[in-house]
Amino acid sequence: MNYVIIGNSAAGVKCAETIREVDRQGNITIITDEAYHAYSKCLLPDYLSGDRDEDTIRIRNLDFYSQNRITTYFGVKAQKINPAQKIVALENGKTIPYDKLLIATGSRSFIPPIPGIEGENIFGLRNLDDAKKILQALPGVRRAVVIGGGFVGLEAAYALYSRGVELTVVEKLPQILPSQFDAKAAKILEKDMLCEGIRIITGNGIKEIINPGIWQKMFGKKGKGVRLEDGETLKCELIIVATGTKANTELVQGTAIKVNRGIVVDEFMQTDEPDIYAAGDVVETIDAVTGQRKLTPIWPNAVVQGRIAGLNMAGIQKPYTALVGMQNAVEFREIPAIAAGLTEAGEGLEEIVIENQAQNKYKKLVMKDNRLVGMILVGDIRQAGVYNTLIKNKIDISRNKEFLFKEDFNFGYFLA
Amino acid sequence: MKEIFVDLDKCVGCLTCTLACAAEHSNSKDIVGAMLEKVRSRIAVESVGGKPVPLMCRHCEEPACVDACMTGAMQKDKVTGIVTNEGHEQKCVGCWMCIMACPYGVITPVEGETRLALKCDRCGGKEVPACVASCPQGALIYDEAKVVAELRRHNAAQLAMSKAV
Repeated sequence: MNYVIIGNSAAGVKCAETIREVDRQGNITIITDEAYHAYSKCLLPDYLSGDRDEDTIRIRNLDFYSQNRITTYFGVKAQKINPAQKIVALENGKTIPYDKLLIATGSRSFIPPIPGIEGENIFGLRNLDDAKKILQALPGVRRAVVIGGGFVGLEAAYALYSRGVELTVVEKLPQILPSQFDAKAAKILEKDMLCEGIRIITGNGIKEIINPGIWQKMFGKKGKGVRLEDGETLKCELIIVATGTKANTELVQGTAIKVNRGIVVDEFMQTDEPDIYAAGDVVETIDAVTGQRKLTPIWPNAVVQGRIAGLNMAGIQKPYTALVGMQNAVEFREIPAIAAGLTEAGEGLEEIVIENQAQNKYKKLVMKDNRLVGMILVGDIRQAGVYNTLIKNKIDISRNKEFLFKEDFNFGYFLA
Repeated sequence: MKEIFVDLDKCVGCLTCTLACAAEHSNSKDIVGAMLEKVRSRIAVESVGGKPVPLMCRHCEEPACVDACMTGAMQKDKVTGIVTNEGHEQKCVGCWMCIMACPYGVITPVEGETRLALKCDRCGGKEVPACVASCPQGALIYDEAKVVAELRRHNAAQLAMSKAV
């Protein structure tokens, strides 16, 4: 059996590992356009800050591929797949035949159509090469602007700040972390970053990027700037674009595989083409909370999808149980925070908030029909997983509702 | 594979297990030393409506913490079944993704010079984990699931018999 996996991150690696556990004989091949041993994209901010290097962002031991007898094509792009002939064509002209194929090509930075965004010293932060380019550009950079106040933007800002760069984060919406945290929680986290010395501008978008003029270039000046929607300009030498991601679905173009914003898969992670599976940031799956099909570009879900895909590819039928699509943990400076599911009030939703401003503690639970559908924990995050499991498994909480809000809520309440 | 089981009826909340756990994970290997080193216990005894409930890692079959770990530090040992984020080539970065994932809420965020998601490592494969060995009430049991199930059936049967008599 020839298993071919395109992609070498959370989903691809887990898929290969899972296949090897249940099929000792089959041939496993991993193809990736990146020239690196599997590393964690979530650790790129730590790489930027210098806390980790190339050796310490690896997610598997150096002998992972040889131990699991995996053939690797690193730094080679898979150009085309041909489902009729069951082959993958590589950019170097080679073709790889498959019996079972996984597409785990992930996602890339979404670059918004802002005038001037094609200029120099403007980067996304999505893979190791991005991070390396940013570090290369860093000498001579005194001020940097981060476009986008989501997780990636704030983490990148914090990392560069720790290298001594003056940072301004610009977020178009009225709060940071808009897709996950509510205004109150965002305010606590914003205050924490402001205390560190990072400047945050919200409710203001970028109108254009002012690249250095011909005279400035002749005199070797790096100076550039961003003009905000309200007309103000911010001077800087480096810009990081962190305005979301886009699924890498190009590879399946021209096949029968259905693509919305991501590749559509069934509960066995299989696409519309027989023997072609997909997992990770590139796929759309059903969300446990909303029941809707959507992209879930987060690490834990990619790993689970990779495992399920691997089992099914190896002939062990196992369905994917819907996971919570939006869930994230952060700690920029001193205050840890975790959010999952629906965190804003809406029709038919009941929410309860407990806060202690002096201690920077904030807890919000969102319920619908006696089921927990969302939560935000700021300051004290210890029971996050218990709440998260109640959300994921749609547990009826009518019997133990009052426990959930207790200061000392813990799993023991379900046992005693 | 042996697991740690809790007999809730026997636990009196003396916290001996938490002290034994801290001592086991300290350099000094004793309770006073553990206090001086500020070593934290990896087993918690929570009070639920006045009743003590010991909580610790279950070393799950398919651990959600391992899936969530974005550094690769959290691993389940294929031979021992122990789930831990310590002692591997990949190091914990304290991103708290495992805390977000753990259904039992038994991973503790530890701040300080280096951040660490702290959890039970089943004393690194010791014959009997320190918490179990120290429990004066026999409320913690370390055995195979089927042995414990058999024991429980036996006890329940005895109780039923004694009531019938």
